[in-house]
Amino acid sequence: MAYKFKRQIFGFMDLLRFKKMVPTREKMLAEGSAEPLPKTFSVNETAKILHPGTRKVKLAEIRDETHDIKTFVFETFAPSMFRAGQYVSLRARIGGSVVSRPYAISSSPFDALRGNKVAVTIKRAGFFSEWMCDNAALGDEFELGDPSGDFFHDGVRDSRRVLGIAGGSGITPFFSMAQAIAEGSEDFELTLLYGAKTVKDLAFKDRLDALCGDKFKVVYVLSDEKKDGFEHGFITAELISKFAQGDFTVMMCGPQVMYDFAEKELAKIGVTGARRVRKEANCVSTRDVKPQEFKLRVHIRDEAFDIKADARETLLTAMERAGLKVPSKCRAGGCGFCHSRLIDGKYSIAGADKRRLADVKFGFVHPCCTYPDSDMEIEVPRG
Amino acid sequence: MDKYDAVVIGAGNGGLVAAIRLLQGGAKVLVVEKHNLPGGFATSFRRGRFEFEASLHELNDFGPADNGGDVRALFDSLGVTDKIEWTPIPEAYRVIARKEKLDVTMPFGVKAFIDKMEKEVPGSRLSTERFFQLADDTRAAQKYTNERNGVVESSVMVKEYGNYVRTGSYSVNEVLDSIRMPKKAQDILRAYWCYLGAHCDDLSFSHYASMVIRYISRGAMMPKMRSHEISLALCERIRELGGEIWFNTEAVKIETGADGGVEGVILDDGRRIVTRHVVANCSPLVVYGRMMDGVPEKIVRATNARKLAGRGFTMFLGLNKSADELGIENHNYFLYDTMDSAAQYEIMKKIDTNEVQATVCLNRAYPECSPPGTSMMYFTTLYMSDDWGNVKPEDYAKTKEKVANKMIDRFERDTGAKIRDSIEEISVATPMTYARYCGHPEGGIYGYESQYWDGLNPRLQMMAHDHMTRGLRFAGGFAMRLSGYSSAYFSGDISGRQTVGDIKKEG
Repeated sequence: MAYKFKRQIFGFMDLLRFKKMVPTREKMLAEGSAEPLPKTFSVNETAKILHPGTRKVKLAEIRDETHDIKTFVFETFAPSMFRAGQYVSLRARIGGSVVSRPYAISSSPFDALRGNKVAVTIKRAGFFSEWMCDNAALGDEFELGDPSGDFFHDGVRDSRRVLGIAGGSGITPFFSMAQAIAEGSEDFELTLLYGAKTVKDLAFKDRLDALCGDKFKVVYVLSDEKKDGFEHGFITAELISKFAQGDFTVMMCGPQVMYDFAEKELAKIGVTGARRVRKEANCVSTRDVKPQEFKLRVHIRDEAFDIKADARETLLTAMERAGLKVPSKCRAGGCGFCHSRLIDGKYSIAGADKRRLADVKFGFVHPCCTYPDSDMEIEVPRG
Repeated sequence: MDKYDAVVIGAGNGGLVAAIRLLQGGAKVLVVEKHNLPGGFATSFRRGRFEFEASLHELNDFGPADNGGDVRALFDSLGVTDKIEWTPIPEAYRVIARKEKLDVTMPFGVKAFIDKMEKEVPGSRLSTERFFQLADDTRAAQKYTNERNGVVESSVMVKEYGNYVRTGSYSVNEVLDSIRMPKKAQDILRAYWCYLGAHCDDLSFSHYASMVIRYISRGAMMPKMRSHEISLALCERIRELGGEIWFNTEAVKIETGADGGVEGVILDDGRRIVTRHVVANCSPLVVYGRMMDGVPEKIVRATNARKLAGRGFTMFLGLNKSADELGIENHNYFLYDTMDSAAQYEIMKKIDTNEVQATVCLNRAYPECSPPGTSMMYFTTLYMSDDWGNVKPEDYAKTKEKVANKMIDRFERDTGAKIRDSIEEISVATPMTYARYCGHPEGGIYGYESQYWDGLNPRLQMMAHDHMTRGLRFAGGFAMRLSGYSSAYFSGDISGRQTVGDIKKEG
């Protein structure tokens, strides 16, 4: 026989209790406070500082760092916080195009939190960086994206001792880290091998020297110049062993050729694998194929745009050229911020496919690392 | 034409299902989502060579094709079951509690569960059988209530679902005591409580029992491509049915007319969408506190009266060794200080004291989820107060790290596995992270707490009472089915169908 539950001496009392639940809740709801509902909460306000989202900012200062590197300091009007080593996406309207690029933040986390200032340091190297170096003026408005990326020291995973390897403008995240260690917003020991062609190509040299102490050291490695007090040549296994022994984490930021070289050298001393060797991703650039023009139809919400796309350039570049405001962050295929739906067309992906499995299955692409191989149609969230 | 029969605000689990129900009912539907991805918490993210599940431990009540549960039936009727590749979860859970020196692994399957319980706690059989019978009666009653949209016949309830009515006003512990379940068996059976986030003196038996039976009777499933696969499948279905989804689009205002009911939705770029029906897949605090003007006092009082449930914290680890090499034996772990859930609840209020974790190693269910020779884990806890609200931005990273380290230490000590030296990728989500992605107050992940007076039973019975604004219904963790994946899907099903009814009534 089926079991019949009973708790009270008389079973009907269990039923009565059940019937009371509705009036009890009605009463509790009616007795709630009549004070206005809270508009926000402490956690949500802190979240806005940690992840401010895309902000309108004003260019407050420009500094020459070397003959071809400049620092741009932005007034953010509100406090924000990031992990030293992270990047932001800087967006500007250039002619008819809306263009953005990710740059490692070169200022310190507390500058952002307590001074409402975020700086990026840019080397003249292409369309956007040249425009910034030649045209950006004090007082100009820009959009700055959320501090992003996982190129920062993780105290749980990483060794307390970090060997930084910087190539050229790859110095910027390390400059932020050195300042962060000095101000106390980061806590680890950084030995930095900073490679450049000649002394005049070294950015931040005076300030890096001034930041040196118990937890931060810098070693300059010049490839094209021999000079007293500087290492000469490349960042070899021998040089690495001279400055780092035992268990340490390698963090690298620089061009791909530097990664390829350094990884071979690190392997010689048994330092391999992503647990101990961390690399900052580089932006996808053009691909080396014959120019070919395709039609690209872009849907943004209930609007459709017919634009041109060149086989050599990514879908993101094509959309930016056409003046469409679309999402863009890492420009390296990894962050997924430009996640867009493929409706039709053939494409190739630059480098490793970093999409989620289900994105591949259901036909989503990351336009920042996708080249058109035919006419295409995609649906893109608004930027 | 900026005019829709219904606008769904938020493409979370509840919102996506509501949209499909509305479309199936013939409505013209727009879904707006402030994030660039669907699913809310139901998503995944890549780090290096790993793709992490953001939140789903396992989907209950799905079951195999020949023994489908309510969730499978819902997915069948939505037309999405076959868009998703499923993999079964091997065992229910391993629960370890320090105070009681408990370390037990429980299987799926009601018979297997009862047998295992009898083996662990001789003499527990009858009470465990009774528990499952009451749970089954509860599930049947809920199915009836769902189908009737909460409008039920008293006489039918008492006659057909008597045990549900008789147990329905009691807490988990009150019922377990009444059926004379031995204490150790109660401890083992209570393991899932942190999935609902209210302690067992407060949590209604109906709520807990219906969840346990949904897990145990039909096993649990996991989509192979993480919950992102479910979210994209639901989106694809919405598009097949002619619905629109706009990402990176936040609804900032709900406009009301002279009757106080919905007249339109204002988007973050100022664009106005005309509609008389909204399904809000977000918190009533956000909707009534920020999105609507002139909210009647009755609604303000009702919204202020309710208690926010647990705030989430999850650590994701990509490990450069296999689960075998690291000694990770199980898929699903619950690590508690004590099985006295009321005492445990108190300990979970503070960052400094909370060491509870619900931990998953997905490779134990789906070995191919990460590259050969690696494994993937996620560790979740809940905070039963707003302690993270006291963490300043400058202390945030340190606090996060401190909790992450405690979680690793605790897991290693309690299970004997060694994971710390194999961490290749790590990512940590805090209440701030959840607040950022989903906008929930205090970074809560469980909606309103399933406390005694605001539990599942009164909420289901009061759906009509809680519908206080014409044209506005809620879906998701804050709604009538409370939080969790299956609950959120069901709430979308209910609110979607109810809104179809509302539209039809208006003609």
